[in-house]
Order: sequence, then structure tokens, then C-alpha cells
Amino acid sequence: MTDGADLAVETRRSRRRRSRAAGTVLLIAAGLLTACGKGTSANALTWYINPDNGAQAHLAQKCSAASNGRYSISISTLPTEADAQREQLVRRLAAKDASIDIMSLDPPFTAEFANAGYLRTFSAQEAPDFTNGVLPAPVKTATWKGNLVAAPFWANTQLLWYRKSAVAAMGVDPNSPNFTWDQMIDAASKAKKTVEVQGNRYEGYAVLVNALVLSAGGQVLENNERGRDATVALNSPAGQRAAAVIQKLAASPAADPAIDTSKEEQARAGFQKESGAFMVNWPYIWAAFDTAIKAGTVPANFKDDVGWARYPEVTPGQPSKPPLGGINLAISAFTKHPDFAVEAVRCLTSTDSQKANMLESGNPVARAAVYDDPLIIAKFPMAALIKQSIADGGLRAVTPYYGDVSTGIQRTWHPPGSVNPQKTPQESAKLIQDVFQNKRLL
Amino acid sequence: MTVTAERQDTGTTQPAPHPRVTDRARRERRLGWWLSAPAMLVMLLVTAYPMANALYLSLFEYRLTDPGSRHFIGLSNYGVILTDSVWWSDVVTTFIITAVTVAVELVIGFTLAMVMHKIVFGRRTVRTSILLPYGIITVVSAFAWQFAFASDSGFVNSWFHLGDFAWFSHRTSALVAICLTEIWKTTPFISLLLLAGLAQVPEVLQEAAMVDGATFWQRLWKVTIPNMKAAIMVAVLFRTLDAWRIFDTVSIMTSGAQKTETLSFLTYRQSITRVALGIGSAVSVLLFLTVVLIAVIFVKGFNTDLSQVRGDK
Amino acid sequence: MSSSSTRNRVGWIVGAVIIIAYTMLPIGWILSLSFKGGDDITNKQFLPTKWSLENFRTVFSNDLFTTALRNSIGVALISTLIGVIFAMFAAYAIARLEFPGKKLILSVALAIAMFPVVALVSPLFNMWRSVHLFDTWPGLIIPYVSFTLPLSIWTLSAFFREIPWEMEQAAQVDGATPWQAFRKVIVPLAAPGVFTAAILAFFFAWNEYPLALALTSTTKAKTVPPALASFTGASQFQSATAAIAAAAVVVTVPVIVIVLLFQRRIVAGLTSGAVKG
Repeated sequence: MTDGADLAVETRRSRRRRSRAAGTVLLIAAGLLTACGKGTSANALTWYINPDNGAQAHLAQKCSAASNGRYSISISTLPTEADAQREQLVRRLAAKDASIDIMSLDPPFTAEFANAGYLRTFSAQEAPDFTNGVLPAPVKTATWKGNLVAAPFWANTQLLWYRKSAVAAMGVDPNSPNFTWDQMIDAASKAKKTVEVQGNRYEGYAVLVNALVLSAGGQVLENNERGRDATVALNSPAGQRAAAVIQKLAASPAADPAIDTSKEEQARAGFQKESGAFMVNWPYIWAAFDTAIKAGTVPANFKDDVGWARYPEVTPGQPSKPPLGGINLAISAFTKHPDFAVEAVRCLTSTDSQKANMLESGNPVARAAVYDDPLIIAKFPMAALIKQSIADGGLRAVTPYYGDVSTGIQRTWHPPGSVNPQKTPQESAKLIQDVFQNKRLL
Repeated sequence: MTVTAERQDTGTTQPAPHPRVTDRARRERRLGWWLSAPAMLVMLLVTAYPMANALYLSLFEYRLTDPGSRHFIGLSNYGVILTDSVWWSDVVTTFIITAVTVAVELVIGFTLAMVMHKIVFGRRTVRTSILLPYGIITVVSAFAWQFAFASDSGFVNSWFHLGDFAWFSHRTSALVAICLTEIWKTTPFISLLLLAGLAQVPEVLQEAAMVDGATFWQRLWKVTIPNMKAAIMVAVLFRTLDAWRIFDTVSIMTSGAQKTETLSFLTYRQSITRVALGIGSAVSVLLFLTVVLIAVIFVKGFNTDLSQVRGDK
Repeated sequence: MSSSSTRNRVGWIVGAVIIIAYTMLPIGWILSLSFKGGDDITNKQFLPTKWSLENFRTVFSNDLFTTALRNSIGVALISTLIGVIFAMFAAYAIARLEFPGKKLILSVALAIAMFPVVALVSPLFNMWRSVHLFDTWPGLIIPYVSFTLPLSIWTLSAFFREIPWEMEQAAQVDGATPWQAFRKVIVPLAAPGVFTAAILAFFFAWNEYPLALALTSTTKAKTVPPALASFTGASQFQSATAAIAAAAVVVTVPVIVIVLLFQRRIVAGLTSGAVKG
């Protein structure tokens, strides 16, 4: 509802006056047309979720019921792509919209939101409820300047998936301790099979580049705490190693013909084909295979042929840093019910809730203990590997300017076929640095 | 009442020769203003004020999510944009899309207009089917074509035996797909404007040319086209400006990947995605100026007569 | 002679068939796609191997889509109504009255018709968030009214010029004020023109994407085009081709109905408004 009272929130007097003037003009229309509000009770909380198969909606019902009517959580769905989710949340929060109480937040955007003052910080008393028993990496993604600004809800990581039959014929073992990208690409090329990755120009490709740089022992950004004066560290031996891997893959027969536009699902489709052998992807695909089996795309025993291993290494002997994703639940700084929101988040991120969410949606939990649960192990035979990968996972750069870092990487490293170890890391470092300084357009 | 007023008016020594007319003219004038006021106000509220606001913001370095760092930087945003390869590459892309689509549409649109003008049999069906692309949501048409070209679901590759060709992985093929979609969607518009122009060509001239033994092409070049030049120029101007502002199709089909980004998409990305309100506003202002420039080129350079469009003959 | 007329006739029919095939191809494709169930989506053929209604069930059970449909219908109808009323007033004044500033109005309308909508996205967002119109119906209706006004004003003033003004003058001679003459005599005569302007304005509002994308964010006001673009598959990463196709078909139905019913009026409106014949 567009009520004039909310205008008082505006701090700058001139802006308020301007708003009033425009407001009067629009008042007639507004009054006539916004009679569409829903009858909300005093303690109604709205949770903005990323799209899923209904698991979050069930949790919302469960927690509402458990509160004995003290609060009720309704859900509102965000777009599919992480960038689009951020775009939409930023717009609402910048408008100081009080209708967001809780939001499902993708980790890389936490810093930007916290820095802008959009997130309610958890107090030192509250924090332990959300961090005890949680794997350290997800906690790091929810922390800004030493404060917990979001509650780890589920954590995501990528594994290396492979077709057992194809790989056996190649004579390599993806589970051997020092299995590298180079070995994988060589083996697949020789067998005329594909290595499926996310190569579209989108966040998923930035995830790939980030994981390769970190696995090679480097960093994307250094001195992050300096904000826009941080150092872009891509132009390093590690950055060049990462570029070499992408260059090698893109030029090899192991690259999918559509690598330039391949996202998670295209990678899965390529993996399911006769030519598929390897794929780096999130664990959700384990449940997606069931859908493919039901639809008849792949034979009923397809999953028997699928193996999994840790994300491959870039440098032999140096353990890889698998990509880290997931969702943290943050509370809006503009919520009218902060206390109930904290209570609701406590319920939504409880061990039980996380386990239920994993069983229903296939999204891995952030709490370590759940991985030992027999029910989880039965449904996710690779649970122990997921847990290990999350624990060792590499964060994307923690900076309020993550969007610029990611877009800068996407622009200079895409298409994969154009990557050149001598040029690309240097170019991308220069570009991101210039954009930070407002010297170039992104 | 009227009588009294008249007498007073005639009694005064004012120089106005027709006092009654002045009175009515004043009333008419006031009514004219009152009737146009709502339309005028809404149009200005939505364009003039926001553009002034954008002009102001374009002088700042200002990120919505980092309000603390907002500061005045003069014209430096414009300098950054105009010396950046992204801006110029987007200008080129937008120009390619505009030139290709307008040229192709003019030819197809003219043919369609001729068919619609001449056809007797099935006239209604043809006109109805031509209106469908015009009425369809642009986002829907972009999706339809994107799915048609997609290598995992589309029929285009299997119809033309292209295997797994990834249309959106290469700049040229992605631009071809975008242009094709635009052409399909907007040709009806141009053909209807041309149809109106065709109707203006006097039938007598055609018949006279026919009697003189002129061939079809001669009649087309010597009679039809010269007589509908105004309509053609107006149609081309409108479609050019429309194509120059292309956003929906690019946004759905490629999101600007493979160097298919257009100026509108750049503007959107700066101000909404990056929430860089300062430089984003500067891009908005520049986009506005390019549109003004095109309009001026058409009106001054090609003598496009807009008085007909404006309705003030 | 007769053979050449037969040849002509065949030529016209072939031409008509080609045109219809050209316009119908993508529409037929999206329709066929929307009936593809399960794995048919990736069969790379034009037609489904088995027809299914499951995609339509999916979209109609999707809150995002049903509310977007409601928002689209509401926003489009209200902005059409307001826009056409405003345009009627202005067009009457332009066609009928002598007053200074007429040229200014027409020039402003022309400028708005050429305005790059996307350039407004950021300043309007800024304005709307401070007056609390972000993510509301009026937040979309106001710009939509503004952008449909030029075409409506041209179409209507073209129609208004064709109206026999003697009748209005006769009414005024009979003692009616200009306002009464307008309401009682002109409005009924102008109705067909108004109707045409309304159809074209509705198309614009139904179609608009960048403003809807930037100025809305939830089911409160999000219209169909941005909702389609944010459609999702069964999981976070799955594509939603089938659902988008079904939703696209649903939102195309009104367009087809309008075109079928009012083909003549739309053609008249588009041609008379832009280039006076």
C-alpha cells in the first residue's frame, strides 16, 4: 500500500518534499488502484525464496504450525538465476520495502547487501544458534566484517560426476588422489567423450573460473576489506594455470559443441548422452537423473553407471577447492517483526528442517551432523563426499562489489575458446580494477 | 446575460473589432487547455522530470548499494562511456541490427503491402494473419524463436540438417536469430504503414502508365514509389527508431552475450543490474541523445515530413 | 485473357499461403511446444509425438503465472481506459478547437513516441521508490498511459476530423455549450475511433517488458512478460521451456481473439494514425 506515513522514513528533507509533491499528483490514481492488498495479520512474515520443488514452502508451513499461531510465514518466489534474484532483492530493499522479512540469499551477494545496510545483524547472543554444528565454510559466507548477517540454511558444492563404463574404458581413476583436469581432458579427448562444464556467460561460469583459480592456489581478490581499493589478484601464476585449463578444454575434442552456452542443465543433458563421460555439477543432478529415468530419456539403470569423485585438481598434489554455493537466510533490516523473524529463521535452519529440506529438494545441509544420518546416506550415497567438499570449498570473493568481479570475469573469460593464459588473467585483472575505480564501463 | 455583456463590450473603446469572437475564443482557448492538460501532464511527468533527474544524477559517482561513496564528478561519467570500447561495440551492434532489420523489413513489408492492397480473394484472412505478429507479446515471440533455434529443443537444426549447431554461441548466428525474430515481429507494422501509403497513390496514374505500356517494374519505380515517398520515409523513421531501441528480444535470447548487447540493454544493465545510478543515468542520457540525433537526421537530412504524422497540416 | 486471370488468381493464392505460413510458423511452433509432454520437449521435431495437457496444468497451478495474468489484465485495462479518456479530450481539442499550444502538444506527443523507454527505467525507479509506487499497479499504469497517449491522440484526432462538425454546430446553435455538444453529439460518433485507439493501447500495455521488469518485483504487480522471463523448471537449474511455451500460448489467446474480431479496426487505426490517407 502506498501510505503517506511511510514517507517519513525518508531522511533527506528535500527529497521528502519532492516526494510529497509528486505524491499528491499520483494520490488519486494510487488510492483508486492499490486496493489490492491482502488481509495480513500482525505477525505475518514473508519469506522470499529461490525457486525449488516446494521444499521451502513445506518448511514454512511446518514452522508456522510449530509457532502456535504467534507468526505465520508465507512465501514469495524469486527468479531462477542468481543474478536476477539479487537484482530483484536489491530493488525492493533499496525502496526500503517492509514487506520482505526473510530472504533466501545466495552467498556471494551477502557482502553487498550487508554493506548497504539491508540486512539485520544477528546479535552475539543469537549467533550461536545459527552457527553451532555448521560447517565453517558456509558460516564464512554468512559473515561480514566479523558479524553474522545471515543464517546458513543449506550449502552447495560441485562434485566430479563420471560415467563408470566410459571411464573404465579410458583406464583412468577419477577417485585417485591426484586426479587432475589435465588427465581428465586428455583421457576424454582420446576416447572422443565429453567433459561437461558450465561455460555460458553467467554466474555459473564465474564459479568455474573461481574454483580453478583457487584450486591452483591463487585468489581472485586480495585485501577485500578495502572495498573498491582491493587488489585484483587474477594476474598470477594460479590465474594463468586456471586459464590454461579452460583453454585446453575448449580447444580439445572433449569440449561440448555448445560449451559457450552450457549451463547446469545443458551439462547434464550432454552428460546423459552417449558421448558423455565427465561433468562438474551440483548434487541436485542426482535427483534429476530420476526425473530423466521416469521420462525415459535414459535407461532405468542409468544411475548404476554414474560415479562421483572430488572436484579435480589443477596442480597435481594440491587439493582442489570445490565451488561453494548454497543459500543463507537473511533478515531484512526493514522488517517490522525482527523478533519473530529471528525465531522463524531459527526454526527454518534447525537441524531437522535442514534434513527435511535435503530429503525433499536434494540440496545439501550446512550442518555437519546430518551427513551421518542413515536416511540421508541411503538417499545420497555420496553424502560423505559432499560434506568433505563443502568443508574444503572455496568462497567466491567476499566484497560488496562481487557483481562487478563476476561480470568482469565473465566478460574477459568468455567464450571459453578465447581464453589465453598469457592475456586473459591480465586483462580481467585490469578490467575489474578499472571498473572499481570508475574508469571503465562494465 | 449575454446581451448585457455584449452591450458593455460595444460600449467600451477597446480596439477589438469582434468582441463576441474574442469572448468565445477565450472560452475555446480555455477549454482547449483544460482538455489537453491531463494528457500533457502525464506525458511530461513520466518523461521530462525523470530525464532532468537522470541528467542531474549523471554528474555523480553513485552506487545504490554503496550510498556512502556518492560524490560529484562532473562530466567524467560521459568521458568514461565515450572512450570505452563497450559503448562503441554496442553502438555498432545496435546499428547492425537496425540497418539489417529495417532494410529487410522495408522489402518484405512493401511486398506484403502490395499483396494486401491488391488481393481480393482471402483478403480478410491475410490481413488477420499479418496482424498476429504485431499483436503478440515481444517476449513471447523471442522465446518462440529462441526455442526454435535452441540446439536441445529446436526444429531449425533438424529441418536444415545442422546437427548440434549452437546458434547462440557465435556472434553472427546469434545476430541472425535476433534479426530474424525482429523482422518477423515488426514487418506487419511497416507493411501497414506502407499499405496506407499505397492507398494514396492515385489509381488514374497507374492506369495511364499501363495504357502507355509501362511494365510492372517501371510502374513501381516511376509511379508507385515516388507517389508514396512520404509514407515510406515515415515508416522507415518509425521503424528505425523502434529498432534502435531494441531491448526485449536481445534480453530474452542472449542477454547480450556473444557481443549482441544493444544500447538499451547496456542502459538497463548499468542502472538496474549494477545499480550504478550515476554512470547508468549518463548512459540513459546518451541513449536519448542518439535517438534525437537519428530523428534530426531523418527530418533535416532526408526531409521526412512529420507534419502529417503530427496531424497539424 | 482468362488464362492470365487464372494465373493471377493462383499467384494471389500462393502469395496468401506464403504470407500465412510466414506469420503462423512461430505461433504454430509455440503451440505445438506447449502440448509436448515429458521428454518430447527435446525431440527437436516440430510436432509432439504424444499430445499432453500437463504443461497447461503446470502453469495454471503456478501462483507466479496466475497472479501475473491478473496483474497484466488489470494494468492493461486500466491504463487503456485512462489513456483513451485523456487522449479523447486532447484529440478533441486538437481537431476542433483553436488555441495556442496545440503545436506544442503534438510535438510532445511525437517526442514521446520516439522516446527510448529504457532510458527512463532508472530515473522512474528512483522516483517510484521515494513515492512508494514501486511494485504497484499505478507504478506501471502511469508510464503506460503516457506512452500510449501519442498513438491514441493521433488515431483519435484523425477520426475526429472525419466527424461531420455541422451537427455539433447545430447543437451549439440550439443552445448547447461546447461541452454538451462534445458529450451528446461527438462521443457517439467518435466511438469507433475510440475503440480502435483502445485496442492499440491495450496491445502496448499487454506487451511492455522493460518497465514491467524494472518497476515490479513480486506477485503484487509483476505482469506476464517479466513473469515469463523468470519462469522456472522443476529444480533450481532446470529449464522451463515447456512451462514458458504453455504460458505463452495462454497470453497469446487474447491477442488472437482481438485480432480476429477487430482486424479491420486495427488496420484502420494503424494506418490513419500514422499516415493520413
